Amino acid sequence: MTPKRALLLALLLALALAPFYLSGYNLILVGRFLALAVVAIGISLIWGTTGILSLGQGLFFGLGAYALAMHLKLVSTPAGELPDFMVYNGVEALPWWWAPFANPAFALAAVLLLPALAAAALGWLMFRRRITGVYVSLITQALVLAFATLLIGSQGVTSGTNGITDYKTFLGLELRGPGFVNGLYWLTLAVVVGAYVGVKLLLKSHFGKLLVAIRDGENRVRFLGYDPAAYKIAAFAVGGLLAGVSGALFAVHVGTISPAMVGVIPSIEFVVWVALGGRESLGGAVLGIVAGNLIKDRVSSAYPEMWLYVMGLLFVLVVLGMPRGLAGWVKPWLERLSLPRRAAPPARVSGPERGEA
Amino acid sequence: MSEPLLRLEDLTVSFDGFKAIDGLSFQVERGAIRMLIGPNGAGKSTLCDTVIGKVRPAQGRVLYKGQDITRASEHHIVRMGICRKFQTPGVLENLSVADNLAVAVREHKGWWSNLRAGLGRAEAGRVEELLGLVGLAHKRQMPAAQLAHGEKQWLEIGMVVAADPELLLLDEPTAGMTAQETARTAELILRLAGRHTVLVIDHDMDFVELLGAPVSVLHMGRLFKEGTLQELRDDPAVVEIYLGRAKEDGHARA
Repeated sequence: MTPKRALLLALLLALALAPFYLSGYNLILVGRFLALAVVAIGISLIWGTTGILSLGQGLFFGLGAYALAMHLKLVSTPAGELPDFMVYNGVEALPWWWAPFANPAFALAAVLLLPALAAAALGWLMFRRRITGVYVSLITQALVLAFATLLIGSQGVTSGTNGITDYKTFLGLELRGPGFVNGLYWLTLAVVVGAYVGVKLLLKSHFGKLLVAIRDGENRVRFLGYDPAAYKIAAFAVGGLLAGVSGALFAVHVGTISPAMVGVIPSIEFVVWVALGGRESLGGAVLGIVAGNLIKDRVSSAYPEMWLYVMGLLFVLVVLGMPRGLAGWVKPWLERLSLPRRAAPPARVSGPERGEA
Repeated sequence: MSEPLLRLEDLTVSFDGFKAIDGLSFQVERGAIRMLIGPNGAGKSTLCDTVIGKVRPAQGRVLYKGQDITRASEHHIVRMGICRKFQTPGVLENLSVADNLAVAVREHKGWWSNLRAGLGRAEAGRVEELLGLVGLAHKRQMPAAQLAHGEKQWLEIGMVVAADPELLLLDEPTAGMTAQETARTAELILRLAGRHTVLVIDHDMDFVELLGAPVSVLHMGRLFKEGTLQELRDDPAVVEIYLGRAKEDGHARA
């Protein structure tokens, strides 16, 4: 077993056993941040591997989160009544597009398909037209801003700034009920592991190698007879799917979902955490988002007004000092451990900034 | 007369009014090697760009085996059997040498059919063959970024040859190479000539001489002259626009 694999297994074991040694509050926090790790894995795939910097993953995250929250809200509302915020806003009948979300199978399908299809459609519009680099970042950023604005503006059907709150059950189980916290934690961990393994397999396939190839030389790939746009759309859709799953899990963890959790700032934070952990490494992305949010929790509860400065400083330090993030810092000594008798592997040749960002 | 492999008809490409190619008609017959030379800005690279669909002409047609490909999409043109090596080495830096070739060799180009790892037996065999051809078998696991400049050029030649295209466009394959590397490249191209039709763009006269193929001179976006290297060297007009200066360059380099 390589040291890297041993480390991963030890980490996984430590996480799996967390409910037995972490206090309730800390377990809830770690679980919540693990839910965010799923969107981070997606960002690592589309940004670290493919070179597409999306500053709008909150859009797909939000679609997944709202799709599930709508279901949970309907289930928590007594039969024949409207969700409370609709009543406050003078809405008299359940909008037609709300109704199917009462069905759990429909809601779960929407959690998976809505963000993936939205990402595929957006990718189709951008990548077919060969929009790249900073323009992709700007378009996705503008879209997530529009999405949050729309959520806030349509108060009668989305509950506006407050977001969807106060849902109490999930698949008939009581949220916050005994055993639910642990169960949700393990479910989240299983999803993270599933996303990690799935994307890892993707990266090992020809598809994954082509994504790297497209990042390094889109034209070269095109003139080998491939259609890079199709690959980018597919990767972007997977990133959207993971963001949606992440959002849905997050909505269950937090017990509420509001525009502030899916808007511009979270979208940028996701990217900052992935950069901190190391965008080219899946493990780094997971580590970055969990560690980053833990730091955020500590700093922002002790010095609320300082948080944005600390985040800005962290980002600057990572960009200047550790372009490959924490993973780029850990990897060399892991590799040295796995090759005890041979010389250390040659360092990767650093060239000019690759990719589109 | 049989249809030539590639025929450009009255082709004009303009960039904001500047005609990089100006009413050019040009054809490449099946088999062997053709050289295309010309001073900087003569339109050599633009010609390649137009054939592979990277640049769309304002006027005229590109015919491949008699079929109009002027408006075909890039990856379709490649799949029809035209492959081009770019001027700057276009290897995939973060993939290993073998993976670079594997990507090029893959028969299926759709993303759906590439969701698997591993190559078919025929594909794996082809990768081995190409590793041998370009002399990089001992570096198969090395990331392409770590290859020497000349090796990158050879690897890319291997990549464009991989799908066994009928027409190969090699844009300055010896750019930045030492004399020794240039000689090896000439050998490599001569070996390819049996299996592919090769159109080589270069302005290194020693290299043109090594290949010993018929030469076309491009000047100001038009076909200026065609002939053997010796005929062209003896032509004062060609010397005037091009060879004179190239000779001086050649001496300066030597």
